[in-house]
Amino acid sequence: MELTLFIIVGAIAVATAAMMLISENAVHSALFLIVNFGCIAFFFLMLHAPFLAMVQITVYAGAIMVLFLFVIMLLGAERLLPEKEARFPWLSPAAVFLALVFLVVTSLTILRGEIDLTEPEETISQVRVVNTLENTENVDVYLGDERIASDLSYRETTDYQDWAVGRYESLTVRAAGGDDVLYTHDRPVDLTGGDAIVLVLVRSSDGIELVTGTENLSGIDDRESMRVMAINGFHDQAAIDVYDTSEGRDKLLIENLAYREASKGVVVGVQDDMELAVTPHGSKAQILTVNSDDLDFARDESLLLVLTDRQQPDNSWQNVVIDLQSDVEPSFGSPRHVGQLLFSRYVLPFEMVALVLLVAMIGAIVLTHETLGRRQRRIVRRLANPPVGLDQPIVGNPANPVSRGE
Amino acid sequence: MDKPEVAIELYVLLSAILFILGAMGVLLRRNAILIFMSVELMLNAANLALAAFARQWGNVDGHLMVFFVMTVAASEVAVGLALIVAIFRTKQSIDIDDLHMFKD
Repeated sequence: MELTLFIIVGAIAVATAAMMLISENAVHSALFLIVNFGCIAFFFLMLHAPFLAMVQITVYAGAIMVLFLFVIMLLGAERLLPEKEARFPWLSPAAVFLALVFLVVTSLTILRGEIDLTEPEETISQVRVVNTLENTENVDVYLGDERIASDLSYRETTDYQDWAVGRYESLTVRAAGGDDVLYTHDRPVDLTGGDAIVLVLVRSSDGIELVTGTENLSGIDDRESMRVMAINGFHDQAAIDVYDTSEGRDKLLIENLAYREASKGVVVGVQDDMELAVTPHGSKAQILTVNSDDLDFARDESLLLVLTDRQQPDNSWQNVVIDLQSDVEPSFGSPRHVGQLLFSRYVLPFEMVALVLLVAMIGAIVLTHETLGRRQRRIVRRLANPPVGLDQPIVGNPANPVSRGE
Repeated sequence: MDKPEVAIELYVLLSAILFILGAMGVLLRRNAILIFMSVELMLNAANLALAAFARQWGNVDGHLMVFFVMTVAASEVAVGLALIVAIFRTKQSIDIDDLHMFKD
């Protein structure tokens, strides 16, 4: 289906480009070029670049081509002059020959698959750390020899940080006590490329565990949904299920989530009163209910739930849920995605392009400014042939003789 | 992101064909405005290739590149058309073969 569309629109694009070349009337050429730009806008849409398609239509097919048509009509140049003797008669055959050679070389290269399309290895992953340890002093967390989180308090999370891919030993240190090691985690942390990794400090029966989860931050097509991800940190180490029980529904979202495990992100449709139920695996006895009064279920976001519990003064256990929101990435090529990059990584090129536009504006004014050119021409003429008589002595006007020296 | 349904090679091939057509326009036509339009066609062919590779890698930097090319093309058109108008005023022609100053 898409291939048929590609072939049809591609044929139109090539045909209009060729017609633009051979058309005798410049206005017809411009109109063919507009159709060609429309085809390219269509290809941008097929390549998931809606923003570019929009800009292509408005800027190229709109503004630039209007400018072309305006100048063609202004100069009355739509009819081409009768072809005179070409100054370089060998140019046309040479150009056609070179074009054919170029076409053959490029199509051979492409069709033989010599374009390198292998995916480059991702070497960076984004990491953040969450502390869910109550009744503990603030902690520092080390990955390998480097500190990833410092002075992290209860329910606090760090920002995403870029880390090189690899396997790290992890270490939790009491923040206030210098090098006082609270716990050395026995499971190494694996950072995989291109992923967003969350490290969650949870309490276990014999100390502190560091649970590793991979967050899915890619955009969701349905804007009425959100991703929910859960981490099981209940101290009794039983596996759990998570159900969506809002509005009387009973939909299993996450099944058999073992202790110290992080689930995958599950897409959930968001309503006004959301309710999630956490149960022991295989039984419907509810141990924890999470609803939208306690938590903020927001559309187009990703929600990480850390399910854990804490010890009360009377030694009973109370279930606690800690929620962490994170913005999902905008979908590929959307205006929001392009805009974010434009105002973060590409601010300097953007400013430079703005400067180029300003210079072009001034240049266009200077080039077409009529009085500027005329004044210069007048100066040239005055120097070339000065007004007659400047080099001769002034004599009386013969038509109206005035006697001098009387 | 899922792989594109139409192979990227086809987009690159189409982009090469459009580029060659534009280059031929620059070499073969003698109307300055048409030469300008051919240059625009070449820029568009390059943009198409950039967008295709951006789709292949799932990397939106290519889109930014296309955006900048479009902006520069717009300023180039403004200056170029101003030049053509200025030349037309003095020479009464936009045939590039008439635009030689030293030799007749």
